[in-house]
Amino acid sequence: MKSGIAVFVVFFSMNTCVLFAQTTSNTTLNFNPKFGNADLQLNDAVYTTKINDSIWIDVFKCYVSNIALLQNGKVVWQKKNSFHLINIANQQSLQLMLQTPAALAFDAIQLNVGIDSTTNVAGAMGGDLDPTNGMYWTWQSGYINIKLEGRSNKCLTRNNAFTFHLGGYQFPYNALQKITIPIQQIKKINLVIDIQKFISSIDLTTQNQIMSPGKSAMFLSNQFSTIFSELKQ
Amino acid sequence: MKKVSIVFSLLIFVLTAFVSVSQLFVVPKGWPKQGYDFSRNPLSNEKIALGRALFYDPVLSKNNTISCASCHNPYNAFAHADHQLSHGIEDKIGKRNAPALVNLAWQKKFMWDGAINHLDMQSLFPITHPDEMGEQLDQVISKLKGATIYPKLFYKAYQDSVITGEHLLKAIAQFMLTLVSSNSKYDSVMRHQAVFSNQEKNGYQLFKKNCNSCHTEPLFTNHEFENNGLPINKILKDFGRMKVTGLVTDSLKFKVPTLRNIQYSSPYMHDGRFARLQDVLKHYTLSIQKSATLSQKLQQPIVLTSNERVDIIAFLLTLTDNSFISNPNFNYPKYNLYP
Repeated sequence: MKSGIAVFVVFFSMNTCVLFAQTTSNTTLNFNPKFGNADLQLNDAVYTTKINDSIWIDVFKCYVSNIALLQNGKVVWQKKNSFHLINIANQQSLQLMLQTPAALAFDAIQLNVGIDSTTNVAGAMGGDLDPTNGMYWTWQSGYINIKLEGRSNKCLTRNNAFTFHLGGYQFPYNALQKITIPIQQIKKINLVIDIQKFISSIDLTTQNQIMSPGKSAMFLSNQFSTIFSELKQ
Repeated sequence: MKKVSIVFSLLIFVLTAFVSVSQLFVVPKGWPKQGYDFSRNPLSNEKIALGRALFYDPVLSKNNTISCASCHNPYNAFAHADHQLSHGIEDKIGKRNAPALVNLAWQKKFMWDGAINHLDMQSLFPITHPDEMGEQLDQVISKLKGATIYPKLFYKAYQDSVITGEHLLKAIAQFMLTLVSSNSKYDSVMRHQAVFSNQEKNGYQLFKKNCNSCHTEPLFTNHEFENNGLPINKILKDFGRMKVTGLVTDSLKFKVPTLRNIQYSSPYMHDGRFARLQDVLKHYTLSIQKSATLSQKLQQPIVLTSNERVDIIAFLLTLTDNSFISNPNFNYPKYNLYP
């Protein structure tokens, strides 16, 4: 009996040795929400668009999920079932630690902007997926992938507000966006999310209120997926 | 020897755990397997008790006046008697008839139009709808944090007194999952423990011929969305499932409801337009309105004499499960919510 325990202990410690032998290092992943060259700030900061329109941003949140690192187009590291809510009002949410193997070589990062359809139908979840985060539709099930709210004089709405709640997981209006961004600085990944690029791609006079799944949400989600890039050092 | 006894006691422990979990939810003999994935929300007595407390507590509504049970009353088979449309805070009236809550573990889409995709997420709709409970989820949580009883109940259920949206929703789902009705006279007849009267027997034959393709046994629903030929109400302008899918082919389609405990769940239809079962039978036999999306199963007229309609109703009354209606485990919790 005693020898059995001893064997078990030895076996267990061998296991842990193997675990520690595979040294992991943290790769930090930073998201830098910007408006053009300026760091994006909420509420009071006023920005000017390319067509000289004054604009304010009041809410910016979005989900990123299933982060993977690629080398020559092949996945070399993956964080499965990982869901992160990026919320500019919560600075901590802008930085993630990726537990990657030491000396991992990669030349691109891949991620989903939004929540996949399987997760959308899996019931209540906690953490970043908890419905209290304000990123879940209550009148028709589904996560809001991207929430961008602000004000612009071009919007002839109450308080000149524009409201984009973009999501949808059901065919043919699955708004999930899979993006791949080439990376040069691999020790610390720094991604820009340029809201100016998104705003410039739409006419706020006619398109200022999208809050349900459909064609418009698909179009805008696609526009949104193009505003991620590596920060130029 | 010692080893054997340890293994044996472990086995007993695992077995008893398994038995006690399965006792909280049993698939009735001959029924299909439930659709709900219990592995993501394993039942426990403590979680069910928490869900039950929440279900009966008006704290979920904005002005603390309306609970889930306000519109889903156990004595009406968890539906709402005498209200065609749901009745919310400040006497607001919704757009649809509160459905009976029963055998929800077998149901995969919720609301009359299937807008909700999971039982866990269902309670978010009435809690936040301005015409129902009109409250915000984070407000509910901050009220529960301040209440005397809830941090304790959440701790008992989840070994964590921090109240989260996930735990709140899952606990309410747990209570609803226990609402299984499978002890009606019909069930006894199927188990060869009782016999139908001649009238009920005739009604059952007619039911199988005319109604069973949508209201399929043993759950008495095929869980599909169908247009059952009701003319549209010009004020409500409710096109049903089309609003969810955006497909014109889903125009005027609504969820096929279960018929279990139908004796108690009046009024009937998505807008509660029929107060009596005889009105429902009259609709199906006399006033089906043809349209592009009318159910395939209603293309041929249903022909029934008035006696046959009465026989079908006699059969429908055998779907009443009094042990369900008066089950003390489903009623208002005995302990005082606010001592």
